[in-house]
Amino acid sequence: MPLPEVTPSDSPSSRIQVRGICKSYYSQVLQDVSLTVGAGRIHGLVGENGAGKTTLAKIIVGLEAADSGTLLLDGKSFTPANAAESLVAGVALCAQELSLVPDLSVSENILIHTSTVRWRRIRRKSADANAKMLLDRVGLENIHPSTLVSKLSLAEKQLVELAKTLATKANLLVLDEPTSALTGPQSDRLHSILRELTKAGVSVIYISHRLADVLEVCDQVSVLRDGKVLSTKPSSEWEERTLIREMAGVDADFDAGSNTAERDAPVRLVVENLRTEQLPHAISFSCKRGEILGIAGLAGSGRTELLNAIFGLDKRIGGSIKIHSNGEATEVRSVKQAIRCGAGMVAEDRSKDGIFRDLTLGFNITVAGLERIANRIGKVIRERETGAGRKLLEDLRVRSTGVEQKIRELSGGNQQKLMLGRWLHCESQLLLLDEPTRGVDVGAKLAIHEELARLRNAGVAVIAVSSELDELRQLCDRILVLSNRKLVATLERGDWSQEDILEAAFSEYVTQK
Amino acid sequence: MNETFARIFRLFGENIIFLSLIAIVIFFGLFSERFFSLTTLSTLLNQLPALTVVAIGMTLVLISGGIDLSVGSVVALSAGVIGVFFASLGFPLPIAALIGILTGAVVGLTNGLLGAYLRLPIFIVTLGMLEVARGLAYLATDSQTVYMGTKIQAFALPISGIGVSASFLTALFLVVAFDFVLRSTVFGRQIVAVGSNESAATVSGINPRQVRCLVLIISGALAGLGGFMNASYLGSADPNAGVGLELAAIAAAVIGGTSLMGGRGSILGAFIGVLIVCVLQIGLAQIGITEPTKRVITGAVIILAVILDRWRTS
Repeated sequence: MPLPEVTPSDSPSSRIQVRGICKSYYSQVLQDVSLTVGAGRIHGLVGENGAGKTTLAKIIVGLEAADSGTLLLDGKSFTPANAAESLVAGVALCAQELSLVPDLSVSENILIHTSTVRWRRIRRKSADANAKMLLDRVGLENIHPSTLVSKLSLAEKQLVELAKTLATKANLLVLDEPTSALTGPQSDRLHSILRELTKAGVSVIYISHRLADVLEVCDQVSVLRDGKVLSTKPSSEWEERTLIREMAGVDADFDAGSNTAERDAPVRLVVENLRTEQLPHAISFSCKRGEILGIAGLAGSGRTELLNAIFGLDKRIGGSIKIHSNGEATEVRSVKQAIRCGAGMVAEDRSKDGIFRDLTLGFNITVAGLERIANRIGKVIRERETGAGRKLLEDLRVRSTGVEQKIRELSGGNQQKLMLGRWLHCESQLLLLDEPTRGVDVGAKLAIHEELARLRNAGVAVIAVSSELDELRQLCDRILVLSNRKLVATLERGDWSQEDILEAAFSEYVTQK
Repeated sequence: MNETFARIFRLFGENIIFLSLIAIVIFFGLFSERFFSLTTLSTLLNQLPALTVVAIGMTLVLISGGIDLSVGSVVALSAGVIGVFFASLGFPLPIAALIGILTGAVVGLTNGLLGAYLRLPIFIVTLGMLEVARGLAYLATDSQTVYMGTKIQAFALPISGIGVSASFLTALFLVVAFDFVLRSTVFGRQIVAVGSNESAATVSGINPRQVRCLVLIISGALAGLGGFMNASYLGSADPNAGVGLELAAIAAAVIGGTSLMGGRGSILGAFIGVLIVCVLQIGLAQIGITEPTKRVITGAVIILAVILDRWRTS
């Protein structure tokens, strides 16, 4: 396969032209979508979940076929039948749902496309060296190319996915939520890579919910709403606020306010000298009734591991975790017990640890609290199931056709609402949330934040991990900062600034070097 | 009233499969003048019970995301154990039967401990157990068919006045009971959850190892019961009984809409699958199809069922 000629050009010649694309599944997803991305340009695509961004991306790389409309690549008609064909034409996708093979090594994953195109035996040494170069480039210097992908954290996987996309040497990159699991510095690194690429004439379609990122890195931004392109303008003419208004038609500035409950409310969770395999330094803290406790830190700083330990998913090697409910303190020894004491957890990776994709909304909502819809001998009462399901769909304003709909047919935002809903059904009093609004559209994010503030005011204790500092600052009463698997700071509301949190998050990495 | 209709509708939820069964019956009715006869019916009712109970267990295991290849051998082992305890050691029949079923449960427990708790691949564990149980069946019976007499055959003979055997009634009862367990109990939900997404099930407070292990024990015990049914039909314990039964059970489950990937399936569907497999066997024999051709056709039907299923669910 000849590599596509890349000529640096400052002429605004178009790399890809999308003309009048229409697509429907259960309903119309894209309606007459047109946009043009110039050579060497980064084009942002924003919109609520369900607005059609991912579908458009899939059509451009040949994973889906459009019902009507045409694509022009470098002025020529472009109709890829599958992803392999579009790769040959120099179009590559960095997918939101990661496409890595968990049981293959990092280097095998990165070079999976480049080596299938040339039907040759893979030389491990040169492959590893090649992969190493790409890993260094995306900032994964400490990952060995022979590491299995299944051993990586979500952020690391996302960066490997990126390296894999870079390996294709495509001249049109379609990035779908490339930074959703990344920390600030990691996204910055990605953005500088993208800028370098554009100098060589590569074009990028950049899809993201992180509006600050979009405005920072893109030349042009298009807003999609309900499957239509509402407007396309240069980034300089947009502001986050105007983008949000355009996307949702709402002003989504949210502040949970501080807790209205008294300061000396009874504790819900007490963690003392907790140590696990992944968290070697003892951690102690507590969380009160009616408090939203944030956990900040860089990716890999032990945030997820801390939540897992509290929920009984990871074995601890020292210390104690006590959940207080109904005046009793119970030591957590298993997930089952944690749930019985009123704990609930929403995991970071929704598709892996959250949803049962082929099952109904009713099933997905009630699965953690089956005893609530069953009688004493364990028979599920259908009326209770439908009743509980309907109520939650209504309360959380989930867009669906009813409790019998399959959850895979919902948008990411609505799925995420139901992950929270699962624990609302259990009337959980201690919520452990890992990136509760990751990859979720503005409207759903606002709804989730409002729901959390409501729960807090009703006396629920919430512990939320987030990579978005703004989210933590708006939401939390207190923020714990982890750095390199140590608890390094506890900050009170009104007592923190973005700089304080970042400084604490980096502290343990700086002193080590 | 509307509820009842919805029930009935869901009962025939596998309507394509059910209609296929009817079509097959009509087909054989047209091409074989002997098909609509008492002989056919009694052959069918004799073959049905053992495969049905084994298929129930297999369906549960498949839905939980596992597989149990040992069931055919367990049928022979259980039959052998019952034969030895009843005929050689002189135990009362119900006690001997219970011991046979328990033997099956113990094999299932072993599968469960190795597969779910030691995390060995369940395919390999039960493949090994297929050999182990078959070997034990030969050892128990000294490789001889153990004659058990008419007392045990009563279970497989039609009860006067009803016209069907106790064996058949038991199988039918178990179909209804396990259909209820799967669709309408907490345990059934847990099986589906584990098969659909194990790690999401863990986060939801379900213990996947426990569920998988329990399901394998049930499958083993049902295969044990299958052994009793087989012995009562033959009037003897044959250590060669049940060869290839695991494949027939998997076929029945798959024809009935059970996914080999776990998370989806139905007991009622599996029962219809069993009917299709049995009717095909009998019908094809009656219209003079030879054994090799029969196997080709049966195999093709299984593949066809998966294609139908794919088409139906997409």
